[in-house]
Amino acid sequence: MASTELLPERSLQPRPRAPHAGPLATRFELLSELVRRDVRSRYRGSVLGVGWTLLNPLIFMIVYSLVFGKFLHVHYPGGSPTVFILSGLLAWTFFSQALIMATNSVVANAGLVKKVAFPWVLLTVSSVLAALVNFAISLLLLIPFMLLAHKGVGPPILAAVLLVAVTFALSLGLGLVLAAGYVYLRDLQYLVNLGTLIWFYVTPVIYPWSLVQSKFSHGFEGAAAHVVLYINPMTWVVLGFQDVFVYDRWPQHWHGLGYSVAFSLVSIWVGLRVFRRLRRRFAEEV
Amino acid sequence: MPDLAIEINDVSKRFRIYHQRSVTLKQALVERSRGRYEEFWAVRDVSVEIPAGESLGIIGENGSGKSTLLKCVAGILIQDKGNISVRGRLASLLEVGAGFHPDFSGRENIYLNGAILGLPRRYIKSVLDEIVAFAELEQFIDNPVRTYSSGMYTRLGFSIAVHLDPDILLVDEVLAVGDEAFQRRCMERIHAFRADGGTLVFVSHALDSVRAVCERCLWIDRGEERMLGGVDAVVDAYRAEVNRREQTELQMTEAAEVDTAPGRMGVRITSVGYSGPDGPTSVLNTGDPLTVSVGYRSLEPLDGARFTITFIGENGLPILSVPTDDLETGDVALPREGVVRLVLPGVPFLEGLYRVTVDISDIATGEQYKRLERVQPFRVHSSDRREVGMALLGHTWELPKVTSRASHR
Repeated sequence: MASTELLPERSLQPRPRAPHAGPLATRFELLSELVRRDVRSRYRGSVLGVGWTLLNPLIFMIVYSLVFGKFLHVHYPGGSPTVFILSGLLAWTFFSQALIMATNSVVANAGLVKKVAFPWVLLTVSSVLAALVNFAISLLLLIPFMLLAHKGVGPPILAAVLLVAVTFALSLGLGLVLAAGYVYLRDLQYLVNLGTLIWFYVTPVIYPWSLVQSKFSHGFEGAAAHVVLYINPMTWVVLGFQDVFVYDRWPQHWHGLGYSVAFSLVSIWVGLRVFRRLRRRFAEEV
Repeated sequence: MPDLAIEINDVSKRFRIYHQRSVTLKQALVERSRGRYEEFWAVRDVSVEIPAGESLGIIGENGSGKSTLLKCVAGILIQDKGNISVRGRLASLLEVGAGFHPDFSGRENIYLNGAILGLPRRYIKSVLDEIVAFAELEQFIDNPVRTYSSGMYTRLGFSIAVHLDPDILLVDEVLAVGDEAFQRRCMERIHAFRADGGTLVFVSHALDSVRAVCERCLWIDRGEERMLGGVDAVVDAYRAEVNRREQTELQMTEAAEVDTAPGRMGVRITSVGYSGPDGPTSVLNTGDPLTVSVGYRSLEPLDGARFTITFIGENGLPILSVPTDDLETGDVALPREGVVRLVLPGVPFLEGLYRVTVDISDIATGEQYKRLERVQPFRVHSSDRREVGMALLGHTWELPKVTSRASHR
């Protein structure tokens, strides 16, 4: 054993001990650090930075409103195809970005998972929170187009909080399953990309709900289309966003929205369970 | 009896080795399996109790399972059998700078890495200057970490780690980084941590560090406990075993390496061998007596022949060449067959693999009878010594003395 006389004098004095913060407080701080990292690493190194968060939905919105509004003569209710498409598109972009980022969240941090024991679930939570931050920024895009279309928002904007919460919970729940599954099954990334693309088209983002009602009112196809749209929890979220921003009214489909709330809560419960089960071998498999 | 800080009870950990690393969807769905794999037990039925305030070293060869065991204690891996209980705040240091983001400044990374390691933000803020000073990065702390040299990167990671201040600290090998001065300061921190009553589990290949830091030591061999006990006994036993294994490896090459074909005048070298303090060996420690034996045979008695034995270092350069006529003068008559021995009372060489070149020639004409180049490797260990280089030369230090006060305390 080395004798204590060899130690520098400083170390013989009692050092201040690191305060014992509650696990919840430290976890919250860790989460905020991770979100900060996820948000900022997205923008560092790109010339436009935050601009991309705005430019991306803007360009898609322009393309969709040209293709569907101008060329295919889809009639958008509320008089403004731009606000209509944008309100659903921003919500959808939040959802799909959250899913894609969440899927990658554990594998992308392989070095960390292999070497440090901490609540790895926070990696997935922070990726969805980072998508939420991007979504909040992208909402700025609505302002100029709503002004152009002479639209405003009143008290129904409060409903948007619930809609965002549902989208967040839904993407987190699914994201947890995908993040844990992706560690073991690397094909999942392609499936997620493909899945979100298909999911986008069965969500009334670029076509109005009224079109579905009139064009698919009867026959097997109509029934099938209705079933798909009805069981899709994002349908009611997107319709809610359109209600708030296009019509300045409270969401009209409360039953559907209730279903989405229930669906998202179940997905969180399932997601946490699956993640907890699969994380046992993360450090070996990642 | 003091409280136990860590209790490891019959712990086993199984790994899967996949024949194909990446599993495709087709395999998962069609073959309903995640690819074929073999199971292998990386750790098998290991039990250790570590009292609070003790420091335990874990040694073993690469792949013996020592890191796996440490990761199980850290909670990164979950054992398949047995249980591990930990009492107290635990911090594991398996990698420095885990989670550093290259685009972030050193300062930002301190907060990020600190949070990942479980430090409260308020505390990091209060020791921030200390961390920066310890890492000697005052001028660079606001530059992105990607612009750091690897030394700066490691120092920063380590400085955060030494401020962890846990009750129990798990350290895996990471101490072998940074320059010597930094390493010394890290060791000082570890000693200070121990002096404060911290519990330490230390995995390392550096047996001297283990000896310096630990009281007890666990030797793991192929996943199983080989020996558990006082650090000196275990390290000595481990070192002896490593030497034994090395020796059998070296001996296996022996037969093939000595070329016994006759040279000029039918002179052959039939064997080249070494003996140490305990008889024939090819593994020695610096300072051990060494005898090099060269067996020869020829058609006629060797009149006026000179044997030369040259020791060759790992870099292929001769270190010492010893001809027989240095010692013997005049007529040297050797029988037709025999063994020539060169005795060194103490091997002066330091850590490394050495070979010899054996040459037999005529003293008068210089005509070469037989020459064997760089045969018979032997290993010299000197890891207990502080000297570094090829050979140990006799030396003494003379240091100035403090005249006024006896000590700084």
